[in-house]
Parts: sequence; C-alpha cells; structure tokens
Amino acid sequence: MKVGLPVMIADTADAPVAPFVRLTALWIQLTGTWCNLECTHCLNASGPRDPWLRPLDAETARRAIVEAERLGVKEIYFTGGEPFLHKDIVALLELSLAVAPTTVLTNGTVITEAMADTLAALARAAVYSLEIRVSLDDVDPDLNDRVRGPGAWAKAVAAVRRLNARGLVPIVTATEIIAAERTDAGGTYQRFRDFLLAEGVTKPRLKILPVFAVGRLETPGGERLTDEVLEGFDRAQLQCAETRVIAADGVYACPILAGLPGARLSDADLEASFRAASLYHPACLTCHQTGMTCRNA
Amino acid sequence: MPERVTEYRRIAVFGGVYNNAIALRETLDDARRRDVDAVFCLGDLGGFGPHPDRVYPLLREHDVLVLQGNYDESLASGRTDCGCGYTDPRDNHFARISYEYTFSRTSPDNRAWLGTLPRHRRLRLGEHRIVMCHGSPRVINEFLWESSTPSGLLRAFLREAEADVLLCTHTGIKWHRALGDGAHAVNVGVIGRPENDGTPDVWYTILTAGPDLGVEFVPVRYDVETLAREMEAEGLPAEFVETIRTGWWTTCLENLPAKERARGKF
Repeated sequence: MKVGLPVMIADTADAPVAPFVRLTALWIQLTGTWCNLECTHCLNASGPRDPWLRPLDAETARRAIVEAERLGVKEIYFTGGEPFLHKDIVALLELSLAVAPTTVLTNGTVITEAMADTLAALARAAVYSLEIRVSLDDVDPDLNDRVRGPGAWAKAVAAVRRLNARGLVPIVTATEIIAAERTDAGGTYQRFRDFLLAEGVTKPRLKILPVFAVGRLETPGGERLTDEVLEGFDRAQLQCAETRVIAADGVYACPILAGLPGARLSDADLEASFRAASLYHPACLTCHQTGMTCRNA
Repeated sequence: MPERVTEYRRIAVFGGVYNNAIALRETLDDARRRDVDAVFCLGDLGGFGPHPDRVYPLLREHDVLVLQGNYDESLASGRTDCGCGYTDPRDNHFARISYEYTFSRTSPDNRAWLGTLPRHRRLRLGEHRIVMCHGSPRVINEFLWESSTPSGLLRAFLREAEADVLLCTHTGIKWHRALGDGAHAVNVGVIGRPENDGTPDVWYTILTAGPDLGVEFVPVRYDVETLAREMEAEGLPAEFVETIRTGWWTTCLENLPAKERARGKF
C-alpha cells in the first residue's frame, strides 16, 4: 500500500443507508487527488505524487453539469485535489456559472494576479454567484505551514488579498486541526475574523470544519454509524440525501468519500445514482455527530 | 374536485415584518392608496424589531392574508431558535437575542395563531396562476437569493406547483426574474428591515394582472427614528439599530451569496 492512500474500506454490509431526496448540490471532483500541497489532515489524501484518484476529463464534467441543470440542481462545487491545476477549469466554471451558483474549493496557491482577474471577469459576467473558498488552517504562518506545507500560508493569504481586492469576497475555510494548540478565548472563528479584518477584509466570510478521521488521518477499525444510533433521526437531513459527486471513476453521494469503492453509486450517470447511499464509513459518523455541511451554508 | 382558487386583479405582497409595526402601517396605507384588491404577507412577523404584539392588530384590521414563515413556525411550536439555520457563531449570537426577545414578548394567543397559518397559498391574478410560499415551495427556510437560485430550479418549482408565478420572501432582498413563456419568480422583499443598500427604505411588491404580469417594487419610507429609539429603549442590540438607521446589514450575513454580500458594507 502506498503511503498516504486512504483505507479502502468497502465492507458496506449491515451499514445504515441515507435516502436520496433531491439533487441540491453537484460536486465536480475535478482534479481527483492531484494537488500541489500534501496537507497532513487532507480529507482524501491528495498530493503531488501519483494521485490515487485521477482527474476528471472536461467532457465528463460538462455532461454532468448539463444533466444536473435538467435535474434542477441548486449549487455546483468544484473540488479536488487542487481544482485550479486543471487546464480546463476556466471554461468549466463559465459553463457552470451559466447553470447555477458555483463554488471552488482551493488552497489558493495558484491564484495569481492573472487568475484573479479571470475569476473577477467570470463573476461579473454571470447571473449567479461565484464563490471561492480558500483553505487556511491557522492565522499564524508557522502553525499553518506545519499542517499545509512550507510557503502555503503566504500563498493562500496572497490569494485572499487578490480576491478581496477584486470584490470576490472569498470564504476562508479552516479546520479545527490547530485549535487544540490554541488557548485564546474567542476560538477559531474569532481568531480568523480578527485576522481577516486586520488584513483589510471588511466582509470577512468564514467556514469552520471539524477534523475528520478520513483520508490522511484515517485509521482502520474506526467507529461507524448504526441503525440504532440513527433511530429517531431524520436521515433526509444528511448532506448525502441531497448531494452527488462526479469523479473520474463514478458518481458518489459525498465529496469526502469520492473514489472509495464502498461509496460508489453509478458509473457516470447522475440519475442512475439517485438511490440510497450507504453510511458505512467512519466519516459518516462524524458528519452525523457534528451536523456539519460541506456546502457553503 | 378541483381546488377553489380566488381570482384577483391587483395585489400587494410583502414578507418579513420583523416586529416593525411602524413600517407595516405605512405599507398598508400605501397599498390601499394604490387600489389593490388584497394584501398578502408571506410570513416572518417577528424578530429584529421592538414590541412584537403591535403587529397583529394591524394585520387583522387590514384583512392581510398571512402565510407562515420559519420564524412564525418556531414561535408557534415553542422552538428555542428561529430556524434560520445559521452556523456562523456571530450570526447565531444575534439571532438568539432577537428570537428570545420576540418569543418572550409575543402573547400566547398570537403564538397560537401563528400555528394556524397556512404555508402555501394559490390564487389567480387574471390569467396568471400564482403560488406563494415563505422560503421556497419545498422548504420553509430555504433561501432563494437572486444570485443563488438557478432558473432551472425555479421552473421545476413552477412545474410541480402547476403555476406560472412563484412568490417568495425570507432572504430580505427583493428580485424578479422572467423565466420565459409567461413564467416568473418574484422575491417580494421585506418591510421590517432595509435591504442592505445603504438606504433605510423597505420594499413591498405590487402585482397586476394583464397580458404581461405587472411587477412593481414599491419603496416605503417610514419613521425610522421612532423605530430606532423604540429599539434602543427595549435594549435591542446597537447593531440592529444601526441597520435600521443606515440601511446596511450588520448581522446575519452568513447566508448572503457573494454577489449580494459584495454589494453590502459589511
């Protein structure tokens, strides 16, 4: 087994399931696990070397966007890996923005001045909002780069400044990975809000995510959800009841689990994936316990 | 047996009263002057402003046809939060203050009445088949912002509702989109709080039957200073009062999509 690969649990027997309710969010797993960073807590163990989930070809992404429009999708998300490494991302964003509000999850490291100009032009031309979510794990460069790699903080913060200067109001996305080392009273939210305001970001937007024992932090034998735990809980409230993810090797119900055999719902056809999703993975337990959403709000 | 649907010629529609009885009175007077057949409120009577119980007699006196919003549903069912679904701790902090204030000052009779309100209403405006809701036809607290609501989704809502025109509120900012073939979606705006444009005016909508649907957004000027002073006297947050005076939203910003957020001050 290669270092950094997620544990490929495929045993879905006896796992509870979530119903399919509607297609609210389409996720485009654009670059698979190809990334220029190699963060210690990466949800799908992305990195620069030999990605275990290959990037998506532009044609499959286009077909999924067109199909999703027909199916009444409300939001489209681009993720990876690092989506801005994909050579077709600008054209795909343009298509996506003609269909629905569109969000890109990025580490910000390749958002140059020129790319920020391009994104601003795309956003201006579109009826729907373009949301750029820039990942940062701490306001302190050293603490951040310990998780995300040398130089990651400076590049991500530069991207936030560039986007902000063009009125693109980026959403800074942070995990709680560093929180245990911090003792300030305000917590992660207040720390980032103060930091962004001090950076001149007058409209600070933040999304704080819990740490998931998945991807690079996954260990075999993690606790899983059971029907007993879910008794009395409305499973239609789970994100996977309204989410589908198109990846290079099929369609999934969860952006965190894309590429994992036990989570695969169909080959490439969105409508064929409109069936119950197995809640077999330890990440499903975290999602249920925290009530978190991968969507913007 | 087919559903009985009332037909109108010209109607006034608003949402989000947010305890603002002063703006409500002004809106109702303005709508009457504009010769409407009926006045509709798409819900969210409480929150934000002062003296919740002052709103109810006005609605009854003017025969306003009211739908249930998420705030109304929460108040009626005794929930501990407004059901807006915020995750941002700052938004939740202010939402909690607003909800606890409103809950404690809304009489049990008025709360019970909120529980009797319908969630949808269908009517005809001339030939146009109208469906009204608070958030969206499928979810009471779904945000339909102009920049985050695909036309494909709106058409799907209309197909399912067998309607030509969708009217909603909940977000606090008005918009209208013609969807082709006589189909329209209109977020009618709110009258309880300005819409984050730097002016203290609030907005409602007049819809008029005709070969083409008439959609007119109407600004309402009201005694902002009296409301602001009442809010201060009630100990409501200075951030809320600032919004009333300046027209810029200072709280509950989390759900604003990029385009709407970029247009605001905060």
